[in-house]
Amino acid sequence: MNDWVIALIKVVFIWTWTLIIATIMTWVERRGSAMIQDRLGPNRAGPFGLFQPLADGIKLFTKEDIIPEKAHKILFNLGPILFALPAFSAYAVVPFGDKIVIGGKEILLQVADVNVGFLYIVAVGSMAVYGIVVGGWGSNNKYSILGGLRSTAQLISYEVPWGIVLLTTVMVYGTFSLREISLAQQGTFLGFLPNWGIFKQPLGFILFIVTAYAEANRVPFDLPEAESEIVAGYHTEYGSMRLGLYLFGEYVNMYTLAALMVTLFFGAWHLPYVDMSKFLSPFAYGIASFLVFFAKVAFFLWLFVWVRWTVPRFRYDQVMGLGWKALIPLALANLFITALVVQLTV
Amino acid sequence: MARPVVEKKYSFTERIYLYEIVKGLGLTWKHFVKNFTASLKRGPHTVPTCWQYPEDRREISPIFRGEHLLLLDEQGREKCVGCGMCARACPAKCITVKRGKVAEGEESRYAGKTYCEEFQIDLLRCIFCGFCEEACPKGAIALGKGYELARYTPGECQLTKEKMLANYRREKELGILKPPRKPVPVAGAAKEAAAKAKGADEGKAKD
Repeated sequence: MNDWVIALIKVVFIWTWTLIIATIMTWVERRGSAMIQDRLGPNRAGPFGLFQPLADGIKLFTKEDIIPEKAHKILFNLGPILFALPAFSAYAVVPFGDKIVIGGKEILLQVADVNVGFLYIVAVGSMAVYGIVVGGWGSNNKYSILGGLRSTAQLISYEVPWGIVLLTTVMVYGTFSLREISLAQQGTFLGFLPNWGIFKQPLGFILFIVTAYAEANRVPFDLPEAESEIVAGYHTEYGSMRLGLYLFGEYVNMYTLAALMVTLFFGAWHLPYVDMSKFLSPFAYGIASFLVFFAKVAFFLWLFVWVRWTVPRFRYDQVMGLGWKALIPLALANLFITALVVQLTV
Repeated sequence: MARPVVEKKYSFTERIYLYEIVKGLGLTWKHFVKNFTASLKRGPHTVPTCWQYPEDRREISPIFRGEHLLLLDEQGREKCVGCGMCARACPAKCITVKRGKVAEGEESRYAGKTYCEEFQIDLLRCIFCGFCEEACPKGAIALGKGYELARYTPGECQLTKEKMLANYRREKELGILKPPRKPVPVAGAAKEAAAKAKGADEGKAKD
């Protein structure tokens, strides 16, 4: 096998895997929310209602595709694509396991080990806001444009603390490559803690998770689509698979952010205190690292759902206040303290 | 008078949100675990707040007023004599009754000398008040327990005699018929009985 084929297989694998996870997440979201609210949720289609996403997909695909008469045709069509494309491509630099040996060839479980992985994620992740704004503007609807405006304001304010937290982790590990950050989290920290990012950057983790929720447009920061205030925000006018792309992109974003959280703060594919590569065969180790990584990601995906059905939505000014008055000062303080510690210890 | 606005003083933990959010997560987790374990149990209606409708059905009141029944007596004869009192009592005017004489050799089918040739209830008009049941001198019509009244065509919503008899047989088989009404004492007879009782009492007092 030459490298091209391997790269292609990895791309196809992570593409389908992300799609499957996003599909299953819609089911988890609906059943999980039902259980939290003392309901049962969709349980008719297939065992435990597992085929519900399939039924939803068929519904979305077969619905009439309406473009409003006064909408800007090109922008209206462009919106969902601009939203979904960055969501799918952002995962390219996030690892999904350590490495696997097949036929004597070592394959890294990561589509691209770019040495500026961080910058790529920040750049591509920020593109998603274009999808929302363009869709909101193109819809020619006051609720849509309000949603678009809100998302711009929110994403710009939360991008700042998010970027600062990422910068702090870069300072701690001294690299931009996500794979090297993952590898650096092996072993123990201070002798008894697993050498995970969360123990080195506890405040950084809290700031990261809060800003990640804002970046993913999830409750409590789902202001761009606040249904009790502005109908459905930027996707008010969307229907059929265009709406499906928006909803799907949100779950893909969630998956990427959860994977990023695990990579940066929860030791990526490392189990605490145990080094799997010591006693597993190289092939089994590859699969085990993938499974451990995914188990951690699954927990954070569930946390997204869990928080959504616990916390009510913040008011718009509260979100802005939290972003500018609390998160940015805290992130800056965290940055300075980290810089000081790094400077003194190295 | 307007109520004065009281500014709530938030404590430190409330102001930084995080602790309160964790408390809230604990609460929702409790609900999730409770419902999740309940949903894994076998059998119908394991999650107390959810009724899985076609399988689980709510218990309905013993005096529920649903789809109409046409009752038979102990010998399996139709009680209805076709007098049309129900049609008169009906505030929605949804009942049509046509009276007929019982023909020779058919006495085993009907309790009275006359019977209803035709008995039709328009379920689209019926308001399920139960006045027909109250008005019937023979106790021949009753409102049953059927509440699944959705039909595909208006024609199917016309309740005929056959359908009502079938309803009666089905509910009898299921044993969900309500007990027969106690006969309402006629005004004159009640007075007489009361006077008798009074007289007896007075007699007792004299002794």
